[in-house]
Amino acid sequence: MLDLYDKIQEACALIRKSWDHTPHAGIILGTGLGPLVSKIDVQAEFDYAQIPHFLRSTATSHRGRLICGLLGQVPVVAMEGRFHMYEGYRLDQITLPVRVMKALGAELLMVSNACGGMNPNFQAGDIMLIEDHINLMGANPLIGINDDRLGPRFPDMSQPYDPVLIKDALSIARSADIVAHQGVFVAVSGPNLETRAEYRFLRQIGADVVGMSTVPEVIVAVHSQMRTVGFSVITDMCLPDALEAADVAKIIAVANDAEPRLTTLLSGVLERDAKRNAQRR
Amino acid sequence: MSSNATQNATHNAAERLERHPRESSTISHRLPVRPDIAPEPCAATQWIQNRHRSFRPRIGIVLGSGLGDLAEAIEQPTKIAYRDIPGFPEPKVAGHSGQLVLGLLEGAQVAVLQGRCHLYEGWSLEESLRPLRTVLELGIELLILSNASGGITPRFHSGQVVAIDSHINWLFQSTKSPNPHDSSGSILMRHDRTYDARWLAKAQETAEELGFALPCATYLATLGPNYETRAEYRAFGRLGADIVGMSTVPESILAMQLGIPVLAFSVVTNVANPDIPTATEHNDVLAWSSMARSRLEPLVSKIASKYFSTTNRNH
Repeated sequence: MLDLYDKIQEACALIRKSWDHTPHAGIILGTGLGPLVSKIDVQAEFDYAQIPHFLRSTATSHRGRLICGLLGQVPVVAMEGRFHMYEGYRLDQITLPVRVMKALGAELLMVSNACGGMNPNFQAGDIMLIEDHINLMGANPLIGINDDRLGPRFPDMSQPYDPVLIKDALSIARSADIVAHQGVFVAVSGPNLETRAEYRFLRQIGADVVGMSTVPEVIVAVHSQMRTVGFSVITDMCLPDALEAADVAKIIAVANDAEPRLTTLLSGVLERDAKRNAQRR
Repeated sequence: MSSNATQNATHNAAERLERHPRESSTISHRLPVRPDIAPEPCAATQWIQNRHRSFRPRIGIVLGSGLGDLAEAIEQPTKIAYRDIPGFPEPKVAGHSGQLVLGLLEGAQVAVLQGRCHLYEGWSLEESLRPLRTVLELGIELLILSNASGGITPRFHSGQVVAIDSHINWLFQSTKSPNPHDSSGSILMRHDRTYDARWLAKAQETAEELGFALPCATYLATLGPNYETRAEYRAFGRLGADIVGMSTVPESILAMQLGIPVLAFSVVTNVANPDIPTATEHNDVLAWSSMARSRLEPLVSKIASKYFSTTNRNH
């Protein structure tokens, strides 16, 4: 991990050449959720290929652009398309953008993803606020000699997701008549979807939804002392005893359909948090 | 020393057995390792044996987080920094200093590894195990492992010492046998005897003599380095784990593959209550470890004196 610091500085330097705001939040948009960037008043944008040390986004429906601008009145830096372990990348490479967001000044990470719902109280199209996670990827982005400039060797994980922001999101959902749950996200490496036996197992160990991302980014955000809020869009229900074959086109359609609701929640949480922060200062 | 160092070491143990037949009870059920397929000892083993020809350790000890002070109790110590031993990696975490200590514990010759190389530091499994493999190849009859762990079961309290009698490998990696001829499927790959039941009983008896109970625990090893989330604690509990940590499992497996019985002790540094989010600080872990030291150190010393001391054979 000792080479990360310089990589972060180099990526920042490039972004700083065309954008000089301090972002309040970094936003990562998951599968099918890219359209949220149309709500951003874009001040600068970069293809991932332009930014030193950024990976290529190869996954379906992940564009591969870093957008800097204003969401509402709040400066943000957003990833349209993310990197996944199943693309063959190492977790410390995948999470470099989070460290760049932090280095640009972001104190909040907002992550979103498309996931499979295992809690039978959920329905496809619902949104779940991530309350906690289980890392079942068999890897960790913090492995290597720790760079104390970036964070502690043994980060605490007792509360990786900010409970105040979860509360904000749920209250916004109630007033906007959006179905929102909270629950536990389990991350697996993928890329195949889970077997019925795996869904049963994941449910039994306490997970409500399953996906192939988010946890590495959140671990790095916690390591970087950022606050985090996570939105999972349940794109299909994975009930082992009534399992339908997954249809990627359908999953993306459900995600696209949920995107306006996600935008309402995410921008609402962002606005409240920015306001609270301004009052504190 | 020739490349037959391991065979020689095994030989020496056998010789001692013949000379002191009553000792046989202490090492009676080493798993069968066929000498004709014994692996080549690593370079570090030969390096140490060439420099300390008269030294024949009977116990190997691995000291975990905050338990490093046991090394201070070693008499006539020879301390060798990991960086001075060919092929040894060097640990880089607070609380771990990284040296091999050869000497006497209660009159028994011991080889002590002070400082572990953890997988979260980025070592490969093979690199991280090299110091232990060296100690195992010095011809020890018992391996004593210690670690600090997080408590999952509410039966335990912070600062308690427990004995590991089983484990769950959650490292997503497995230890390849150092034995080139052991292509799994053999008796060496059976994990049910990893933690030695007879040594466990002896340890419990010894703990009782010292005035404390030594409960058994199933240890789950994760990669780390972050501490567990509450959801992960709940998940591991449902899987049957009592305690969770970031070491020990590969070491136990390696010892088993080389046919050496293992006693593994864990200091439960913080019992997690997943329903009340409480932050874990590395400094707290070190503090709980030092509290438990007052039990674990006498326990290990007494095991050495009871079963291995050359001056005391009343066991």
